[in-house]
Amino acid sequence: MAQAEAFETDFWKHANLRKVWDDIVPGEPRKTIPYTLTRDAIELYCASVGEDHPIYFDEAYAKTTRYGGLIAPPSIHILLMFACTPADDWMRSPGTVNAGQSWSYNIPARPGDVIRLEARALDKFIKRERLFVVHDNVFFNQQGDVICSGRGWTIRPE
Amino acid sequence: MTTTFENLGEGDTIDGPKFEVSRESIRLFCDGSLDYNPLHLDDEYMKGSFGKTNFGGIIMHGMNNFGLITRMITDWAYPAGAIHRRLETRWVKPVKPGDTIQPTGIVKSKQVTANSRWVLIDVMVKNQAGEKVATGEAMVEFPS
Repeated sequence: MAQAEAFETDFWKHANLRKVWDDIVPGEPRKTIPYTLTRDAIELYCASVGEDHPIYFDEAYAKTTRYGGLIAPPSIHILLMFACTPADDWMRSPGTVNAGQSWSYNIPARPGDVIRLEARALDKFIKRERLFVVHDNVFFNQQGDVICSGRGWTIRPE
Repeated sequence: MTTTFENLGEGDTIDGPKFEVSRESIRLFCDGSLDYNPLHLDDEYMKGSFGKTNFGGIIMHGMNNFGLITRMITDWAYPAGAIHRRLETRWVKPVKPGDTIQPTGIVKSKQVTANSRWVLIDVMVKNQAGEKVATGEAMVEFPS
């Protein structure tokens, strides 16, 4: 799996470099890295949730649709969140529990897109002794068009 | 009958795909999403507690629910010429290997705006015991 080989899958490895809840400053941009979305990466993500619609796999079919070519499922931002952030990003802290997310979709991501993320913590709070951080994210393609934007609520490890 | 904005009504239901959760499906989601948090991989780590919570073993990614709900909405919307525009979700119960989960949707309302038409859908994911593991709301555009 070429994608996973180039990616540090041991989330403990950089754990000491990551910000803990106390260090996270709401409003401060997170470091991000551009990512080229490949057909292989889309197909692997699709396999993991059982996506089988031909618009993600069959180029001849996809050309007949309103999109005029292959696209990725809207939920591809699940992959992009990790693909566009470095190993010391606090989203990778072991024990980070996702409590929910909301996303708005503008245009689809496509194979070959070079995708850029603008992201930050938007808010942090304590509720029932749990440490929450709200993250705020916008993904753009190489033309600068918004692909999707979303927000997530995470419970931080103590 | 083909789904159209006109013939949709409050209470109409959408059945999503059943999904069998296993250690292998969770591992595949790690590879597909690049989310290798030990919550989803490491049995030893999961013997510990997280504040007041002890999961008792590895758990499925919450976003796997999100991906399944998306699959349900897009598979329903594409044939109708509609576009999935928004999904908001909240996880209410962990999902573990051996569970079978299924998303469903219920049309809540329709709205016409200056330039388009919208359908709001309540979504949920239930496990094999009928317990809700995720809830949320989706918004689908039916371009006029």
